[in-house]
Amino acid sequence: MIELVGVWVQYHRPQWALSDVSLKIEKGEFCFITGPSGSGKTTLLRTLNREVRPEHGQVLIGGSDILRLPDHKTHILRRAMGIVFQDFRLLFHKRVFDNVAVALRVQGIDGRDLKRRVFIALRMVNMQNRIWDFPSELSYGEQQRVAVARAVVNNPRILLADEPTGNLDAELASDILGLFKEINRQGTTVVICTHDKELIRRFGGRVVELQDGKLKDKGGA
Amino acid sequence: MRRLPARYFFKETANNLWQYKTRHLFSLTIICLSFLILGVFLALSNNLAQKARELSGDLNVVFYFQKDAPDSARDALEIRLRNRPEAGPVKSISAEEARDLFLKRYPELADIVRNLKDNPFPPSVEMALAKPDIATAEILRIIDEVKADPAVEDARFNRDWADRITSLSRLARAAGYFLGGILVLASFLIISNVIKLNVLARKSEIELLRLVGGTNTFIRMPFLLEGTAMGIAGSLLSLALVLLVVKLFPIYLGTSLGALQELVGFRYLTLVQALALVAGGATVGFLGSLSSLARFLRV
Repeated sequence: MIELVGVWVQYHRPQWALSDVSLKIEKGEFCFITGPSGSGKTTLLRTLNREVRPEHGQVLIGGSDILRLPDHKTHILRRAMGIVFQDFRLLFHKRVFDNVAVALRVQGIDGRDLKRRVFIALRMVNMQNRIWDFPSELSYGEQQRVAVARAVVNNPRILLADEPTGNLDAELASDILGLFKEINRQGTTVVICTHDKELIRRFGGRVVELQDGKLKDKGGA
Repeated sequence: MRRLPARYFFKETANNLWQYKTRHLFSLTIICLSFLILGVFLALSNNLAQKARELSGDLNVVFYFQKDAPDSARDALEIRLRNRPEAGPVKSISAEEARDLFLKRYPELADIVRNLKDNPFPPSVEMALAKPDIATAEILRIIDEVKADPAVEDARFNRDWADRITSLSRLARAAGYFLGGILVLASFLIISNVIKLNVLARKSEIELLRLVGGTNTFIRMPFLLEGTAMGIAGSLLSLALVLLVVKLFPIYLGTSLGALQELVGFRYLTLVQALALVAGGATVGFLGSLSSLARFLRV
């Protein structure tokens, strides 16, 4: 499903953000990418959605090398993925409904179909009663739930999450991870970057560890 | 392939216009003023052009005879002129008829004329032009020919005025294009900068749209619509203000300009001019946004 072959990424010389990373994540896998700050977790995730272009290597998704995808077609790749950020990245001037709907609107989905899918996504994260609230009226945990709803509203094959629990306390973090597990059970491949070892221990799944941009360890549940 | 969600774009545009209303109001004012200047000069030019047309419509050549010239000389000229293809109606006016006409037209000067010992008005022959667009050179050739007759003292041809007013109309239009052009360019730069500010203010939103799979067109469309809407609104507002100027200026001026009143007036824009102004506003707004997006929004 996801395969990185000898991937090298550099932002500034002489350091490499990723050095010769080769990794395979199977379809439907629940995978943690962990490591200390600056180890390359976020870079790896950004490589997967083509925010970052590696200097060398191949990034295969569903068997296709996404680095060969022309720039004007990147949106096709991104529409097949959901992404959750540490800082939620909600639009504070828009209501919960519109925050979730944005991932469908970019695809030209509108009207009744859009409303139905937004409602289903919000029900999945148990936020269907806050549909007309603004993000500022929600707690951090609720805001992250909305962000998760936005990430899954278009039924992505892959869900990427970059430190999704970094701004949440242990209880809320566990709550959000529970959501990811549920999404994974429905067949979505989930890749989560986190440095929270306790959370990894509690939820299990495959763990890939990075250190100074290099793959340190490949583990299983 | 799905269509772009037009309703969403219009809603987004309206929301954005409202969200940053102060800066949009500012740029709207500049656009409006630019097109107002252009519109006012066009209205002035339209009036002058109309006056020139009216003057050309009743153009005539008047040949004045010596006071002691025999009536037969006038009659001969009248017949000669009637046979010319350039001539419209030709009329012979005796000195007495000329005096009566003057008294009829200016009764307040009647006493002065009556107190004169002699009739000061010369006999004349008036020739209207068959068509208003006959070349001036052609008319001058006829005048020279007729003036060769010693009985003819002078000739008057009033096309000079029409030509001068036409030139004035062109000058007013050129001044409008020049001043309006400079201000329209300023509008373009202002729209471009306002859109740039909007892009910067919505940087995180744009980034998000990019990451959830928004295309270039999807992300740029609301900004383009914003610029275009500002351009259209500004030019429509300027059309309303030009109408106000056209209606109120004569009231403000009263009769203070006397004979010049007719020239220093405004005639509202033609439908084509009004549509061109609105299309110009839309184009300036669209291009202003586009230039800003090309520089500051590389998706």
